[in-house]
Amino acid sequence: MSEHLLEVSDLRVTMQRRGLPITPVDGVSLTLDRGEILGIAGESGSGKTLTLRSILGLLPQGGVAEGDLRFSNDGGPPAPFVPTEVHGHGISIIFQEPMTALNPTMRVGDLIAEGPRIHQGMSKADARNKAIELMRLVGVPTPERRARMWPHQLSGGLRQRVMIATALSTEPKLLLCDEPTTALDVSVQDQILGLLQELRVRLEMAIIFVSHDIAVLGELCDRLAIMYAGQIVEIGPADEIISEPKHPYTAALMASVPSFQGTSEDLQGIPGHPPDPAAFTSGCRFAPRCAFAQEDCEQTSYELTSMSDDRATACIHPEMLAQT
Amino acid sequence: MTALLEVKNLTVNFRIGSAMAARLRGQPPPDLKAVDNVSFEVERSESVGIVGESGCGKSTIAKAIVGLVPISAGSVELEGQPLTEKRDQATTRRIQMVFQDPGSSLNPSLTVERTLAELLTVHKIVPKKEVPERCGELMDLVELPRSLLRAYPKRMSGGQRQRVGIARALALNPEILIADESVAALDVSVQAPILNLFNALRRDLGLTVLFISHDLAVVRHVSNRVVVVYLGTVMEDGPTEQVFNDPRHPYTRALMAAAPKFGVKKEPGKSALTGEPPSALDLPSGCRFRTRCPLAQDICAEKEPGLVESETDAEHLVACHFGWTEPPA
Repeated sequence: MSEHLLEVSDLRVTMQRRGLPITPVDGVSLTLDRGEILGIAGESGSGKTLTLRSILGLLPQGGVAEGDLRFSNDGGPPAPFVPTEVHGHGISIIFQEPMTALNPTMRVGDLIAEGPRIHQGMSKADARNKAIELMRLVGVPTPERRARMWPHQLSGGLRQRVMIATALSTEPKLLLCDEPTTALDVSVQDQILGLLQELRVRLEMAIIFVSHDIAVLGELCDRLAIMYAGQIVEIGPADEIISEPKHPYTAALMASVPSFQGTSEDLQGIPGHPPDPAAFTSGCRFAPRCAFAQEDCEQTSYELTSMSDDRATACIHPEMLAQT
Repeated sequence: MTALLEVKNLTVNFRIGSAMAARLRGQPPPDLKAVDNVSFEVERSESVGIVGESGCGKSTIAKAIVGLVPISAGSVELEGQPLTEKRDQATTRRIQMVFQDPGSSLNPSLTVERTLAELLTVHKIVPKKEVPERCGELMDLVELPRSLLRAYPKRMSGGQRQRVGIARALALNPEILIADESVAALDVSVQAPILNLFNALRRDLGLTVLFISHDLAVVRHVSNRVVVVYLGTVMEDGPTEQVFNDPRHPYTRALMAAAPKFGVKKEPGKSALTGEPPSALDLPSGCRFRTRCPLAQDICAEKEPGLVESETDAEHLVACHFGWTEPPA
């Protein structure tokens, strides 16, 4: 089973801003195996959410995605697909804010049943039973009663569980998660992460999880991709990236996270700001903020270089970081 | 010696629903106890973190201290003087607040300079002709370039706006700064220097900081004492290092277990806390954490535990029947 479930090559998202084209996602390539959890980490504006949404064609108005997307729904080799047609047919998505993502005029049972009815032509009664079964699967207590409730009657954690049930209703091979736990309390976030791990094992489903929180991604993901200014700067096994970052941006990001175990020494932070998409250069975009930048960093064009079988970094001077 | 700020048995009730409907049913009007009998002290130049999940009342405590919500019972005392909702300018100046979202708490139609200058003039902090210089000094204090004084909030990044929010609070030379989720909306690379700034302000200006957050790691970084709040009451109160190294309340322990940590993999289906907090309108009898507590015994349903200090350390308080003893197996 060396065939990938999803292959994204050279994805580019172009948008118009005040009449000028900008490229907030600029040449992202990644692959995903069956049943694998891939995390995409990055700060606001890094293009992580746009990358995720391009897979389903859910771009903001005026956004155009180019690049080669391949997905395998039937176990064969990955084949090109039309993003807008694959939603509900092998790929589902869950969002950050379950209150705005759930239709407030539908009872939650009907919301979950809508997918199977439309995409799989299931009868009304079957779909309703399936909805209750799914609610039980994602850990909603008393699903028969809750299925008749409206979204506003549920707590944030239950709404997120309902949204997951909605996404699972079409039996996806791949679940896209767009910061699904950011709006939740830590105790509920912990429950949802445990649920996603469990579902991955039980349903053999792959997950792409986008978040700004590296600690969350480290707990959940098998592999991790770090994005900066529309590009992947580092990708590899999550544990290795966290314990031994090879890109100065990853290292600086890790040093900015206040830790539990750490002391109250000053946190590092990263001086300056990420570049504006209108000012993206072809060289290393992190170089102006990088503590290890060399003269040729801003001239050499971006390329993700393999360090080993499963690790790659876009840094052209990884030895500078390794020396510290 | 009296503490700088003392919160004594603070209770804040919110009237919800219709009082008329309740009277027709012959019941008293429903009250939601957002803050229930909360007491703690803050010494001068101390930094106290208040942590808890959403809806636990941590922001309401902050608002009651600055006088933004009416106090239903108990008191907030500043150097032994009780503070009421209505306070004079001089008292208002002494406690200032920094809000979560600087995008919506700054006036979008004023430049940074006018925002700051207005405060300095209205409160007569400095003579009129020194106002521009003082604005510049405030910018230095929060590590922003003085050139930004002429900028409007919408032209600035989130981190810069939050610094302006801090400068605005500092403009009145407060003694106590209350930061209500002040870094929650920021990226970590921007959050880190702001947390450092809070530490520096405390160190250099001797400012007293009350830091309210849902994020334990953030609180650990900026506070020397932490107060853990659950459903409107204090569960644990103690020196930061002690609470983090040896949490005595099962709720504190669960919160710490739930927070994501580096180098730990999530186990399928496992979670530190099950369920969600009960409704504040329908609190469990006895200890309010007992419905989710792994240690709960019969006594927990019968008697609400008060805050009890450790035998060895009077600074560390826990509201749990088994806080300082092992629970019966």
